[in-house]
Amino acid sequence: MKTREISDDLGRKIRIPKKIERAVSLAPNLTESIFAVGAGDRLVGVTSFCNYPADAQKIQKVGDTLSPNMETIIALKPNIVFVSTASQIETFTKTLENQNIAVYVTNPKNLDGVLSNLKQLGDILGTSAQAENLISDLQKRITAVENKVKGKSQTKVFVQISKEPLFTIGKESFLTEIIERAGGVSVTKNVETAYPKLSKETALALNPEAIILSDSDDNKEPNEVFKNSPALQNDRVFKINADLLSRPAPRIIDALERIAKDLHPESFE
Amino acid sequence: MATLLGSEKLSFFELTESQKTILFDIRLPRVLLGACVGASLAVAGASLQSLLRNPLAEPYLLGVSNGAALGTMLAFVFFSQFEYARPVCSILGAGLATFAVFQMAQSRAGMNVERLVLSGVIVTTFLSSIIVLLTSLLDAAKLRSFTFWLLGDLSQATSSGFYLTLVVAITGTIILSSQARALNLMMIGERDAFDFGVEISKVRLIVFATASALVGISVAASGSVGYVGLIVPHLIRLIVGSDNRLVVPFSAIAGAIFVVLADTVARVAIAPRELPVGAITALIGAPLFIYLLRK
Repeated sequence: MKTREISDDLGRKIRIPKKIERAVSLAPNLTESIFAVGAGDRLVGVTSFCNYPADAQKIQKVGDTLSPNMETIIALKPNIVFVSTASQIETFTKTLENQNIAVYVTNPKNLDGVLSNLKQLGDILGTSAQAENLISDLQKRITAVENKVKGKSQTKVFVQISKEPLFTIGKESFLTEIIERAGGVSVTKNVETAYPKLSKETALALNPEAIILSDSDDNKEPNEVFKNSPALQNDRVFKINADLLSRPAPRIIDALERIAKDLHPESFE
Repeated sequence: MATLLGSEKLSFFELTESQKTILFDIRLPRVLLGACVGASLAVAGASLQSLLRNPLAEPYLLGVSNGAALGTMLAFVFFSQFEYARPVCSILGAGLATFAVFQMAQSRAGMNVERLVLSGVIVTTFLSSIIVLLTSLLDAAKLRSFTFWLLGDLSQATSSGFYLTLVVAITGTIILSSQARALNLMMIGERDAFDFGVEISKVRLIVFATASALVGISVAASGSVGYVGLIVPHLIRLIVGSDNRLVVPFSAIAGAIFVVLADTVARVAIAPRELPVGAITALIGAPLFIYLLRK
């Protein structure tokens, strides 16, 4: 089999077949991205979290991102396994590589990272042309949003990940950048880590002008500490599907457009 | 004192509207809830130790906290629409766990210390495994709030939860203080206590039920805050001696202070982020307990 050497997001050199026939994705954002670059038919295994697109649900499940089932993966005989840094890779990389299965680690940290990730996936899976089309389309949508919110005053946004206990986004979350591109500014952008549990007193003093709820069962409304915030007084609370917000994949551009429209409706009339 | 410290700086001479909200709606309820939880756990620990004549009897080590935690989780999964399902199921869980440990510790030869501790370990690990099983079945968003809550988290203080905890904490402390004389006699030996006219089975039932209620209400409010029931009564006995008429009420006060201090550390250490208070109490409690053991 003809092979070639590539390096992944962690800078690890890995050897993969020139033509990938069978691939496994261990993260929902990777599954979405692989379908988006037109290589979904190559996926033979995905995680139980991979619910989009609909076709992904028909693919064999290999456990979830944090505890994939090694035996199932090996039995599927993939050429390559795509993982995100959220998975615990060290433990199983060796097992897979001993079976001649390449492990490719991706770590998109921001919008540009999402786009370059799509390019890499297209390159590895042999769908570069489709990936390039997708990227230029997404790039156009990003630019369109940025042009619309250009010069607008930045809305102070609080992103609520869960109501009790109060979790939000911090310095290391890619959503901090998304908010900024959408014409806002995350009021917790200086808090350490990606998804910190925030002190309620600090939250109360933040006085956000808008609140974005990552829509899930335990996060249907803003925490009580925001009851006197400008966001609630002016009825500026927006729910966005948690899957859109939590996955660095092409649909993050959908989230970007939604947030920009919510924050600056007048620019989109 | 603890209300002076927090992630937001407050000046006590001029408070703005939002600073008032911070002080009265967020910080004060949390400090008061911490005090109730600390008092409840310490009093429960003190009376269980005397009743079972076992210095290691502690809600956390005996599996009572885990019983309450499991009860709370089940309430959350099945009866989340009822506000009071959490405390009720938590108290039931604590009661069942206490009962199970006590039954297992009984043998024909009576109850001995090793058997009791062993039963506690068995019940604790068994209940932990069910909790782990349940968290694996819950979806990711609920899992996050549970892992935090399991480690002890006072940030979810609400006024309705607080009043309930306060009422149970005060009533429980009064009931257990009223049993102090009987507990003193039972510390000498159940036979002697019986000779002095103590109705042993009645005292046992009252203490078990009250301690379960105290632990249950604390866990429902704040998760598992460990070591409070262990080190606080031991410290108090070092200071005031082993008379339960003093140990029980003083444990309530010291337990309250201990948890409030630990929670202040949890709130301030990495502000504006927060630590789970249970991690702080265990971090202070475990070394302190080893020190007390060696003394």
